[in-house]
Amino acid sequence: MSMDRTELRDSARKAFGASSATGDAAGNWAKLSEMGWFMMTVPEAQGGLGLGSEAHAIIHYELGRALVPGPVIAQMMLVEALAATGQSDLLDRAMAGGKMTASLALPTEDDVIEAVPDADVASHVLVTRQGAIRVVPLDRCTIAAQPTWDETRRLFDVRPPSASDGVVIAHGQAAEQLRTSLLLQMLLALSADSLGGAEAALAMTVDYLKTRRQFDRPLAMFQALKHRVADLKIAHSAAEALLWDRAAGRPSLALMGSLKTHCTEAFRLIAEDCIQLHGGIGLTQEHPCHLFFKRAMLNCALGGDAFHWEEIAGRAVMETTG
Amino acid sequence: MSAALETLRENVRTWLAGNAPKDWREAATHEAFVTGQRQWFGKLVAAGYAIPHWPAGWQGGGRSLAEQKVIYEELARADAPRLLLSFVSTYHVFATLQECGNDAQRARYLPAILEGETWCQGFSEPGAGSDLAAIKTRGERRGDVYVVNGQKLWSTMAQYADKCLLLVRTSSEGAKQAGLTYLLMDMKAPGVTVRPIHQIQGDEEFAEIFLDNVEVPLAERVGEEGAGWAVAQATLSSERGLTLMELGYRMRGSMGLLTDLIRKSGKAGDAGVLRELGRLSAQVDATCALADRFLHNRITGAEQVGDASIVKNSYSRTLRAWADLGVRVGGLLEQYRKPITFGDLNTGNWMADFMNSYAWTIAGGSEEVQRNIIAERMLEMPREPKSWVA
Repeated sequence: MSMDRTELRDSARKAFGASSATGDAAGNWAKLSEMGWFMMTVPEAQGGLGLGSEAHAIIHYELGRALVPGPVIAQMMLVEALAATGQSDLLDRAMAGGKMTASLALPTEDDVIEAVPDADVASHVLVTRQGAIRVVPLDRCTIAAQPTWDETRRLFDVRPPSASDGVVIAHGQAAEQLRTSLLLQMLLALSADSLGGAEAALAMTVDYLKTRRQFDRPLAMFQALKHRVADLKIAHSAAEALLWDRAAGRPSLALMGSLKTHCTEAFRLIAEDCIQLHGGIGLTQEHPCHLFFKRAMLNCALGGDAFHWEEIAGRAVMETTG
Repeated sequence: MSAALETLRENVRTWLAGNAPKDWREAATHEAFVTGQRQWFGKLVAAGYAIPHWPAGWQGGGRSLAEQKVIYEELARADAPRLLLSFVSTYHVFATLQECGNDAQRARYLPAILEGETWCQGFSEPGAGSDLAAIKTRGERRGDVYVVNGQKLWSTMAQYADKCLLLVRTSSEGAKQAGLTYLLMDMKAPGVTVRPIHQIQGDEEFAEIFLDNVEVPLAERVGEEGAGWAVAQATLSSERGLTLMELGYRMRGSMGLLTDLIRKSGKAGDAGVLRELGRLSAQVDATCALADRFLHNRITGAEQVGDASIVKNSYSRTLRAWADLGVRVGGLLEQYRKPITFGDLNTGNWMADFMNSYAWTIAGGSEEVQRNIIAERMLEMPREPKSWVA
């Protein structure tokens, strides 16, 4: 990690501390805009910071670590789309923190766009359909709130008035390329978010085991629990090494999908074990365990699940080896 | 990938096409296998691909980590045999002498390795496996020699070795780690007896070494008397760093063995098999990335206690998953016993590889010991009280 990257991480850590899940969403959003993170990957010529995908991953890692709520991943996808297609007015608004959103589900050809964060307070939504990518004003769409288990994210189903509504920003070949790059960005963000969350959940659990006493000694002294925690640490370290490796390269969709699966599954494994290792308190809403667990489960489902990406990764291995 | 690396890849690939042994798996006897190993090592030395991790000045040495990975991947892709016989010599002996040996020892032994002298490692004992500091083999100083008595176990290919990295106890005072001394022993010396161990898969990859009044000259001591534990760490850390990087990249380069098997078994269209393959390949890539990061941290001085344990456990689990997928995809045919060859992951004999994968979760500090290191030293979880009395 270079100096710039370390600074980025430290400033994120300073801004969000241990957990923002219970903080105010508007305050968090203002902080994110002030720090310029919505303009992070936009080229300097377009008013952005011109940072690459590694920086993007670092930010999402820290957002996941602090369970920061809000539509940051969707916002960054929209920013990327607007920057790539030269939509400068909308781009300036989005970079300044004007809330816009995009679906975190895999694009489909259905009328309803699923898993759109904060659609009730955003001005526009990114729609990928019928070989074109559009930016559609949300005041013309039908919006249905979908309460989710993960309370750190608010998801909506959005139905645009017609298939051809909004401003077309890319179509044909260009739309296909943009769709791929947006998908790559989302998958990387979900991977990083997951490992940030996993790191925080594991650290919280190790601390708890050192404090909590049963049978006249701290739980952390029992080898059965030590070995379990060591396995979680190994799972996290391996996934993290893969994350930084792929964040620094230019992976194919198959490789980014398999990264997303690997990282979200690690998060899920760690979050689940953290509940077990906390005992009864882990099953309550008073304790933050459940927030990590629910975010992990949602991350597993967003952007295409393990069934989807592992099969694609397997096919890619078959095609490129032997 | 840079143009220079692509050129290297091309060169290695071209050379391997003309030189990599083809029928090494058909070796009918261990002796034939060993002869093949010696010949293959000689060829690699001459071509400059045997010791890419040695410093510049040696033939083929001074390669960057990126270049080393390319070489390992291509060796695996060409399905060339692993250098099992010279593994201890080129990695462990090299690392030990480089870090802790003296000039005379380096001048004498390093060139000999390239000429074919092979080494084994005499660390473990019947009563000291993962608890390495508990070794009992005695080294008693008499004049200008150490007289060694005891027994070593799990020594890889000791029956074919010329020399041995030997850890002995020269004092029983103080902490158990304090009384150890590190020696370089001649396997042909009077009093050395080697007995191969028949392993679970039928091979004789490991052996026992019996030491009966074996004399080792004082000049063959590495480091000071009593400093053996620290010297042994140099040997072991080599195992957990560079060697695991080689093995990780060889596993990645060997993915073709698995995809070939999937095709041959008619399961290339099976979504369940493809998913498992996809999952495994991410795990293999993660293990390589972890080894990369570990080496980077070691070179830059950022290594933390426990990092090596994470790499080791991650590799051994991935190796297990890799061989296990081969066993399951191969189905009944993998249950038919084939001629045995040595090696961890590219014997092409999935049941043997699967059984061999346990050597990695047990040897060099068991998986459980690594977990204790991660929990107690990295995550600072308290040790269990030493209240147990026999």
